[in-house]
Amino acid sequence: MSEAEEISRKQKQVSISEFFEKNKHFLGFDTLQRSIITAVKESVDNSLDACEEARILPDIRVEIQRTQNDELKLITQDNGPGIPRDAIENVFGKFLLGSRFHAIRQTRGQQGIGITGVVMYSQLTTGSKTNVVSKIKKDSSAVIVELGIDTKKNKAIKTGERREAWIDGLTSEEVVQGLRIETVMKAKYQRGKKSVYQYLRMTSIVNPHATISLVVSDKNGDVIEQGKWIRTTNKLPRVVREIRPHPKGVHLGTLQRLLRDAEERRMTSFLQKNFSSVPPSASKRILGAAQIEESRTPKRIRAEESQQLVKAFQTVPLRDPPTDCLSPIEDLLIKKGLSKAIDSRFASTVTRKPRATQGNPFQIEVGLVFGGDLQTDGPIEILRFANRVPLMYQQGGCLLTKALESVNWKSYGLDQPGGNGIPKGPAAILIHLASTNVQFTSEAKEAVSYDEEVFDEIRKAMLEVGRGLKNHLKKSSQRKKAKEKFELVNIILPEISKKSSELLDREEPDLSPVITQIMNAVFLEEELYWDKKERLAMCCITVHNYTARARAYTILAKWPEGPDTSMSFNPTGGRKEAGGLWAWRLDTLNPGSSTVLEFGISGLSKGDWNETDVFFRGNGEIIGATKMDEKLLDEQRKTEALEAAMEEVRIREEASGVGNLISDSEEGSKTSLDRSEESLPTTGSEWFGLAGDNQ
Amino acid sequence: MSDEAPRRSKDQVIDELHNVAAEMHDRMQKGSPPRMTLPVRSKSNISFDNRLGVFKYGKSKTIRDATSLGSARQLLRTLHITEFIEEMIDSGKSSTLREMYYISEGWGHGKFGSQNESNNLAEDLEIVTKCLREDFKLRPEEDGARIIGNITLEERNRRGEWMRINCRDDVGDSGYGVPYNVESEKLKLVDEDIDFVMAIETGGMFDRLVENGFDEESRCALIHLKGQPARSTRRIMKRMSDEWKKPIVVFADCDPWSFRIFASIAYGAIKTAHISEYLATKEASYLGITADDILAYDLPSDDLTKQDVNALTAELSDPRFSTGWWQEQIGLMQEIGKKAEQQSLAKYGLDFVTDTYLPEKLASMGITY
Repeated sequence: MSEAEEISRKQKQVSISEFFEKNKHFLGFDTLQRSIITAVKESVDNSLDACEEARILPDIRVEIQRTQNDELKLITQDNGPGIPRDAIENVFGKFLLGSRFHAIRQTRGQQGIGITGVVMYSQLTTGSKTNVVSKIKKDSSAVIVELGIDTKKNKAIKTGERREAWIDGLTSEEVVQGLRIETVMKAKYQRGKKSVYQYLRMTSIVNPHATISLVVSDKNGDVIEQGKWIRTTNKLPRVVREIRPHPKGVHLGTLQRLLRDAEERRMTSFLQKNFSSVPPSASKRILGAAQIEESRTPKRIRAEESQQLVKAFQTVPLRDPPTDCLSPIEDLLIKKGLSKAIDSRFASTVTRKPRATQGNPFQIEVGLVFGGDLQTDGPIEILRFANRVPLMYQQGGCLLTKALESVNWKSYGLDQPGGNGIPKGPAAILIHLASTNVQFTSEAKEAVSYDEEVFDEIRKAMLEVGRGLKNHLKKSSQRKKAKEKFELVNIILPEISKKSSELLDREEPDLSPVITQIMNAVFLEEELYWDKKERLAMCCITVHNYTARARAYTILAKWPEGPDTSMSFNPTGGRKEAGGLWAWRLDTLNPGSSTVLEFGISGLSKGDWNETDVFFRGNGEIIGATKMDEKLLDEQRKTEALEAAMEEVRIREEASGVGNLISDSEEGSKTSLDRSEESLPTTGSEWFGLAGDNQ
Repeated sequence: MSDEAPRRSKDQVIDELHNVAAEMHDRMQKGSPPRMTLPVRSKSNISFDNRLGVFKYGKSKTIRDATSLGSARQLLRTLHITEFIEEMIDSGKSSTLREMYYISEGWGHGKFGSQNESNNLAEDLEIVTKCLREDFKLRPEEDGARIIGNITLEERNRRGEWMRINCRDDVGDSGYGVPYNVESEKLKLVDEDIDFVMAIETGGMFDRLVENGFDEESRCALIHLKGQPARSTRRIMKRMSDEWKKPIVVFADCDPWSFRIFASIAYGAIKTAHISEYLATKEASYLGITADDILAYDLPSDDLTKQDVNALTAELSDPRFSTGWWQEQIGLMQEIGKKAEQQSLAKYGLDFVTDTYLPEKLASMGITY
């Protein structure tokens, strides 16, 4: 027996409870306050994952009741698919076992030790069993069982199993499907920034499709805290595909296990079948670089050869892994999620395109909300998420925070004492990292570790939302100035005229030349509102010419163009200028006159469209609109044409069934297209006419 | 220079006010934004008037025109004040500045944002029309000084009768209260039996001198300034100096704010530089406490605060403190970094101020008793 094997044998003998005790700070059970949060987290994450897989809109209820000093009873209930009777032991007894190796996709569950930890903690601290009620749709009754853990054998022990009809205590109706867990543990309920409440609030932000409720009561049954976050969308996160590992993300040990278990007879087919992004040509190049013959049998590859292979994985150029294994929340839903939890005036969100680092696909999303009820002094609130799971601890040591701190927020309108660090002001920033393999700084899984590519992506996303904020602030201040001018000429000036004429007993002067002189500008105001009757998101643009000359303009406005939306009301006509940009030519505007331009978008819900950008073509400035940057517009048009061409190629490939056998030349052209895209702003938001702001 | 502030008839006042409104109306008729032209009211625009011997506004003008919302509102308020003053003149009423502030609640978009704003606007109008606020029937809230000493005044009371008051025999310990209007239609300086007038910054020191009988012992009139002196206080001191030809000495704390009190008495205040010749007593001199005194008498002192230091620096560039003596005193104060209160003299006992300090200081100024 080798030394290593001996050690591992010894380790297995260490009782699981001892292991738990030793590592409870990693497992999230180090303090009484944190234990309850971890328990809720494990349970709610499981529910969300299960519902997502079963394509069910989740309804999750969390109840916490203090039973005695330092002891809480936790009840969580969902409307998920439930767990079949025979699988219950496995789900609750599988302790510290990773997920199936081959399944690489984004799940919440990969972050915790699982619900087993909760059962274990309950047993260790109070000696009690966890009560599980599970109902699957096709069974006529629910399974009720008490669960404990056999700490020697590392498996669940079932007792008192019975079958009963499950009547929901709240609705008094029979439950069709779902899971209910009731457990008692040593824990303390704490309010504030690190609380179950905050955890669920954050969870609800990144899961706008879920309805989550919380009731916390004390020993007497008096409610001491409660919250309810109702779903703001019925759209479930998209189904994610499981993908095979990408060679660049594979470690030696894993490779050796794969080789050992391989059934393929040749190395070329082994590489093609077990990894993503390895077409035949690439497998040949990898083997060439590793100096391994293509015809070798995988099972016979020696240790030093596998080392060469791992090296070759890093050096041979490969396509990035597919990204449909990721589940981003997406711009609009982030906006909805944020609005569900935070009352603010302005939201700017961005979902970056997926990218890969070391063979792991990842995607960054950032949302920024500003104004409204947000507190104006003190640092902004940072909401960190990894795969839709809130990160609540170790904020300072987290990559997501560091990337945020690296941005010069002052130039985007947020106060940042000292020029770096967490900015101050009435804002909150959400950062979501979706990845098949989130790298944490420690087993506690609360802080994301450093990765240059992830860092860069977050920074880019921050700059985009920052530009959105800057634009918004500039607009607000312009709007304020315009409002003041209107008050001046429409209210104050006529009063000055009236009063002075009265005092002097003279005729009132004609004020129009005075007004022209005071304003001496063209003003534009836009207003967005919801037409309830027609179900249209309306935009009304008014242009006033307060100059001494007649003016002619083309007005351009951004609108949320998409597969589900259309410009259904547009009496002024005009034409599409580019994706999401419409243009109208205005009739000549005489001095002192104004004109109104109105259009309505269908396919949106109330509150979906709160801010637009208006541009103009023509001479002189318009206060309240930005001069169209024709260069940027041209670039956008080119990008769109390119994308359309690519899409066509893709459809043709799919139709001819050669989609997964991309030749080397096609592969090359695809990469070059990817690059050209990256050099351009990718979301199409907040960039027109802002060339000067680009960093 | 006349002893009397020039008073204007009702019609003259209304004409002057109408000129302000006419400037606005004329401009609008020509198609331009209405405006009002004012001297710049800051230390950068005051200069010594050789003929008058006091500081007056210089030639810098500022134009307040209706191209910004704030200024347009100011113009509208000015017109409302004008109308209000006309009404008061017609009906023979007067009001306090504070009352006007509240009355402005009914002026719609012309209402004041703060009391300070209404005070400043009333002063603006004085400057532009060359009238006094008394002409406008506007009274200050600020309370005038109190006086103790062997002088006799006649004040017209609210029944319109002249009352004779001796400021030593006919008053209690708090002295004679100076009314807000001290022009000759209200107050006459009748008689005196004193050698000089001493103005005192703090109430504590005023009461000490009264208790020690300093006014009788040294044959002087004591005036309590109550901090930055009100217009009427400065005006009555000016009249005493002009009509009785008595020396005026100012006894204040040794700190930058006290220096400004003295400057407003002797040279003219920046805010009222348009009427400095009626308010400022160029013959007044600064008795103490000086920075020298802190050292010479080894007085208990406090460190200068950041605001004190800033105020001193500002004073170095204030034209009123441009003389060698002030530059020296301010420089010395910056150097030692200390300030002292009048009452720090109590270090040497309650009588030290009257027995030692004041006689020594007065003697150095050529006043003995």
